[in-house]
Amino acid sequence: MANVLWLQGGACSGNTMSFLNAEEPTVVELITDFGLNILWHPTTGLQIGDQVQDLLKDIISGKEQMDILVYEGSLIEGPNGTGSMNYFADRPMKDWIKELSEVAGYVVAIGDCATWGGIPAVPPNPSESTGLQFHKKNKGGFFGADYISKGGLPVINIPGCPAHPDWITQILVAIAVGRIGDVQIDEFHRPKTFFTNFVQDGCTNVTNFAQKVDGNFGKRGGCLFYEVGCRGPMTRASCNNILWNRQSSKTRSNHPCLGCTEPGFPHHDLKKGSVFNTMKYLGVLPKEVPHGRTKLAYYMEAGFQKMMPKNHRIMETSK
Amino acid sequence: MSVKELNISPVGRVEGDLDVKVYIDNGKVTRAHTQAAMFRGFEKIMAGKDPQSGLIVTPRICGICGGSHLYCASSALDTAWGTKLSPNALLLRAIGQASETLQSIPRWYYAIFATDLANKKYANKPLYKEVVERWSAYVGTTFQKGLTASALPVQIYALFGGQWPHSSYMVPGGVMCAPTLKDITRAHAILAQFKNDWLEPIWLGCSIERYMEIKSWDDMLAWVEENESHKNSDLGLLIRAGIEFGLDKFGQGVGKFLATGTYLHKDRYNNPTIEGRNDALISSSGFFDGENWNEFDHLKVSEHVKHSWYDNQEDGLHPWDEPLPTPAKSQVLHDTDFDGQYSWSKSPRYDGHACETGPLARVVMNANPNNKEHQIKDPLFGDIIKKLGPSVFTRVLARVHEAPRIYKFIEQWLSEIDLDGIFYNKPIEKDGKGFGATEAARGALAHWIEIKDGVIKNYQVMAPTTWNVGPNDANGNPGPIESALTGIEIEDPSDPVEVGIVARSFDSCLVCTVHAHDEKSGVELSKFKL
Repeated sequence: MANVLWLQGGACSGNTMSFLNAEEPTVVELITDFGLNILWHPTTGLQIGDQVQDLLKDIISGKEQMDILVYEGSLIEGPNGTGSMNYFADRPMKDWIKELSEVAGYVVAIGDCATWGGIPAVPPNPSESTGLQFHKKNKGGFFGADYISKGGLPVINIPGCPAHPDWITQILVAIAVGRIGDVQIDEFHRPKTFFTNFVQDGCTNVTNFAQKVDGNFGKRGGCLFYEVGCRGPMTRASCNNILWNRQSSKTRSNHPCLGCTEPGFPHHDLKKGSVFNTMKYLGVLPKEVPHGRTKLAYYMEAGFQKMMPKNHRIMETSK
Repeated sequence: MSVKELNISPVGRVEGDLDVKVYIDNGKVTRAHTQAAMFRGFEKIMAGKDPQSGLIVTPRICGICGGSHLYCASSALDTAWGTKLSPNALLLRAIGQASETLQSIPRWYYAIFATDLANKKYANKPLYKEVVERWSAYVGTTFQKGLTASALPVQIYALFGGQWPHSSYMVPGGVMCAPTLKDITRAHAILAQFKNDWLEPIWLGCSIERYMEIKSWDDMLAWVEENESHKNSDLGLLIRAGIEFGLDKFGQGVGKFLATGTYLHKDRYNNPTIEGRNDALISSSGFFDGENWNEFDHLKVSEHVKHSWYDNQEDGLHPWDEPLPTPAKSQVLHDTDFDGQYSWSKSPRYDGHACETGPLARVVMNANPNNKEHQIKDPLFGDIIKKLGPSVFTRVLARVHEAPRIYKFIEQWLSEIDLDGIFYNKPIEKDGKGFGATEAARGALAHWIEIKDGVIKNYQVMAPTTWNVGPNDANGNPGPIESALTGIEIEDPSDPVEVGIVARSFDSCLVCTVHAHDEKSGVELSKFKL
């Protein structure tokens, strides 16, 4: 049994929508079979106006227990640190979050906006958005680097734009059933169970990547790393392991990985030439290379593969 | 009795932060103000960036209708760059748009709308017990089935776009994917499962084909009474309870409707232009003034900001001409002066009129007798709007009416994909202006782009909820939701569920509503050779 409060700040509700796609368990099963009690949620909550304000006050005063605070969306501090660009229940959202964080058993940040600022924090960051405990790659964010919730953990970050529903539901279940001790987190506070492997692991084009057969839009077969900016080899996430909507993943549908589970997303801040395009030196050498390899080693290996005659099996595609 | 003021912050279950202030006289709302309470400044973020940034950024304005934003963003670039679109590309974009909207119908109906009918306000109504049993949040019998089934249509989206929400698979010149036979077959199978799990047995109580024979309000009433299966379906219960609870008696709104239309026909938009768009639509665009249908012209769209938290901007400018606005100082609801600025939303107007947009607007356009052969011709809501007029009830009925038709469309479009055909034509980038639009599940959505010196100079998004939830315009005319709230009766000011029901009947989505604009921002350009 765990009481969950879910709030949205500078959010698009995409993580909520993703959450509602969950299967095994579905959102309904989370509540009826896994003992999650949702105190309020912006999309499904039944309370309105003062009823919501009263609930928040009861949580802060300790009258109502809140085991998990789920936060979706950026933490809006603008303008000039006032937070008045995001009022919620009659005050700046940031003031509610500050007080709620002091009584929360665990704080779970869902999606890139809540974890490290996300798209709203791209320069010029008009709303002065930041994440709960990171701002982009830097630890700190709204709560500061030292924040620890009552349960003894810093903010648990479930990044992604959006986060996969299973990443969300499994962490909520782990807390509800008392297995949070098994959840290890990495340097960016991501649960290692989902964010140790790379998006490339399990990609159906991994052999094309190895043998340097390039793909492109509207084409079957071929790897998207070299032409259209796929970040699968340098992005930690289980997208090709736990599939999206039970069917596919970006790279399986010929869509370059955007690297949305890493704190740099959107990478290069969308500057000209960085969107769906592999940025290169001298028009040939990818500026960013797969994780764990030096540039020189990668260029030599790739250059060798490029010159090798292609294995017929790899070149074959079928409708 | 003196006028009472009621501040409602938050309204909730509207996707995003909506606050409402109503003035009540003798239990009746005499004046209402809507306040969009959150600002992120997305268009400001896009200014000065890569021209394709909208493909990544705009779906993330709104996770609920991200596919619709993508449809607009890719279209806006198609018109600016003069791309070539293959029939396959147009089909796959339409399938994405349609599956997102199909998902939204049960998800919105059960999670956002119907739970209010289980509110104690209706406890004395004969059908209340049945409504509570089926539609109570989380525990209702069909709430559970409908909410779970809502995940199915977007599985089809994921087959072609990789995931839902937040794919960017629609790109200028076509789509990223090149599906195979197994993707098409699987999509057909998922669609059939949606029909067998929910659409026919639970929602309609009859076949899709039988439902689509309904052409008038009298037909609809006769359909309900035809047999127990129709009567006891969720749609049958909605019609019976809707009338019994009086949902047809409040929430009228402004009575004028706007649709930007959607689903560009596979053979009629291969050379995308702004001028050629209206004729290429399968679900037609238009402006209905309460009497007559008028052709949609994007140049007649303008925005007012007198009551919006932006400074230094004139009222009534077309999106392409809107200057750099400066975010103004905002206030919490109870401190707001409603004679001044009071919302982050602007007030869009069409030819000067406040218009309701959404499924009701769409089905009214579908009833336009001048629609062409390749366009939807469905007289039902021409009749309903005449007989019942707009209300919470007609708005909800319009929303759910679309499910069977969308189902048939997706089935047809899947079968028309040519696996040997072209999916993408690489475009040539250039400077210029573009316009793209669609119908998100909750209404008219449009993007305007201007590209200069190879980067975005101006990007404007006008979302359905901007049309519906916007504040008063410069002439003091209220927006559609403000207008729909006026006159409603609030039984219990400590539980103003009526306000929620009206706002939710529009399926307001506040996360889309708020936007700002910027002039060119001086962000450093890439120095790397492309």
